Amino acid sequence: MSAQVLVFDILSVIAVLAALGVVLARNPVHSAVSLAFTFVNLAAIYVILRAEFLAVVQIIVYTGAILVLVLFVIMLVHQEDLPEFHGGQPLQRVFGFLVGLVLLGEVAAAILTRTAVGQVGPWSPQQVAAAGGNVQALGEVLYSGYVLPIQATAVVLLVATIGALVLARPDVVTVPIGMARQVLTISLGHPRGDGEEETFEVPMLPAGTTTKAEAGDRELVMAKTGDEFTDKPAWGEHRTR
Amino acid sequence: MYEHLISSYIVGFIVLNVLLGLMAYMTWFERKVLARLQDRLGPTRTGPFGLLQPLADGVKLLSKEDIIPANADRLIFLVAPVVSFVLAPLGAAVIPFGNTITLFGYKVNLFVTDINVAALYILALGSMGVYGIILGGYASGNRYSLLGALRSAAQVVSYEVVLGLSLIGVFILSGSLSLVDIVNEQSRTLSFGALQVPNWYILSQPLAFGLFLVAAVAETNRSPFDLPEAETELIGGFHTEYSGFRFSFFFLAEYINMIVVSLLASTLFLGGIDGPIAAGVWWLVVKALIFLFFYVWLRATLPRFRYDQLMGLAWKVLLPLVFLNIALTGLIRLFGIGAL
Repeated sequence: MSAQVLVFDILSVIAVLAALGVVLARNPVHSAVSLAFTFVNLAAIYVILRAEFLAVVQIIVYTGAILVLVLFVIMLVHQEDLPEFHGGQPLQRVFGFLVGLVLLGEVAAAILTRTAVGQVGPWSPQQVAAAGGNVQALGEVLYSGYVLPIQATAVVLLVATIGALVLARPDVVTVPIGMARQVLTISLGHPRGDGEEETFEVPMLPAGTTTKAEAGDRELVMAKTGDEFTDKPAWGEHRTR
Repeated sequence: MYEHLISSYIVGFIVLNVLLGLMAYMTWFERKVLARLQDRLGPTRTGPFGLLQPLADGVKLLSKEDIIPANADRLIFLVAPVVSFVLAPLGAAVIPFGNTITLFGYKVNLFVTDINVAALYILALGSMGVYGIILGGYASGNRYSLLGALRSAAQVVSYEVVLGLSLIGVFILSGSLSLVDIVNEQSRTLSFGALQVPNWYILSQPLAFGLFLVAAVAETNRSPFDLPEAETELIGGFHTEYSGFRFSFFFLAEYINMIVVSLLASTLFLGGIDGPIAAGVWWLVVKALIFLFFYVWLRATLPRFRYDQLMGLAWKVLLPLVFLNIALTGLIRLFGIGAL
């Protein structure tokens, strides 16, 4: 058994165990860390397959950026608010197990009968070496034949970034747009208005509605001392209703 | 076939041990230099010139009680400092300490390995380094630690972008990602009339050099970008709850990161082993020492950045400058100015 096969065996066993850890861990942070472990092992397998650029990009992008983002989200969300990890009705569990078995069967069938083999691409290892290595070969292909898809990908990423910004801080985008509209709109009327525009009235509640405070959600405590306020808190875990 | 691997292992062993020794004495160096810059003496009692101070520190940290908070996520609490400490010296695996020499009839490479994506490998290690911080802060079960960890992670991730992009100018000029190739490129001599200068990239990429330095200081969480671990602001940030030798793992990992980054800056911008009379590892050491002194000098001189100023600097100032640098370098390479 050559050294390459041995190393591949070790790496794949560890990767599979880490993947199992992703699914079976109780704590979502443990899950994410197991996933990081899986990614690193996959990167090592890519190195064995002589795709070293893909390996480092896998670590930089997947492990170093995407999974860090996932970890941020997991850590900032309360444990109670996370979706159920190991719950679910018995029927769901059985169904899930069956679907998993079916998928496993398909993958095993594809591997064992060796019908799922990819086509050999146009680049042989000698051609790659002649181009100067993996990175140079990728560069040649990507930036000559696939320039437009790369630009499209960049635009897609830009749209995603702007979308995230708009969702998180809409005022950052809408306020300048509003201001620009005001500046750029050609108005032929008097700056102070023609006198025909509707005045804006503050919407008042219909008469007779009592707000929560008036209806007595909590008694109005004009506390003179701190102890008085502590005895009758308006919020918090010691609040007795 | 295996002698290649054996020479890699032996060189790697030597590099690792030298790095660990240098890390210990980096603490001494910092304390002495910081002290002199602050008009005092630094450690003088433990051994001559305080040279045994790192030993004393090590003994002290090892003998402290190991406290694990009750709220801590135990497994990750134990693993996080180890992750930081293990990832730190891996960057030194691709730095060329010399060319290939012949020793007792065997060809020995004076670097651990020469992969053709070496610079990307170092960036990948920087990306992985965030994990030690996040996991350490999360696992402590302490709100301040989590806050410090998330801030630090956001800072590291932002400055990583600047760090990576600032190196693209160097890659455009050298045409390769391998550090050995970059060092060989820099040992060429350019002549401008009667002036002969080596092709060091600090001369052809001054903007990238400045951006790289700033980003590197921020990546290693050093002053003036050390808000996430600032004692006065967040009690200690992500390493608040760590005591004894676990704390020293984080602390020493930071020093090893500093050393590796200094070696990297010397290799990428100052020509590495290249020097006037005889090219060799001593020049690399001198240049790395210059950068290490610069790190300590920054710590002694500048006040700390506030967190929003820090992030604003990265995204609003450094990133546009880095893109400007890439555009200029690309244009220069396209139209071929001089020997560049």
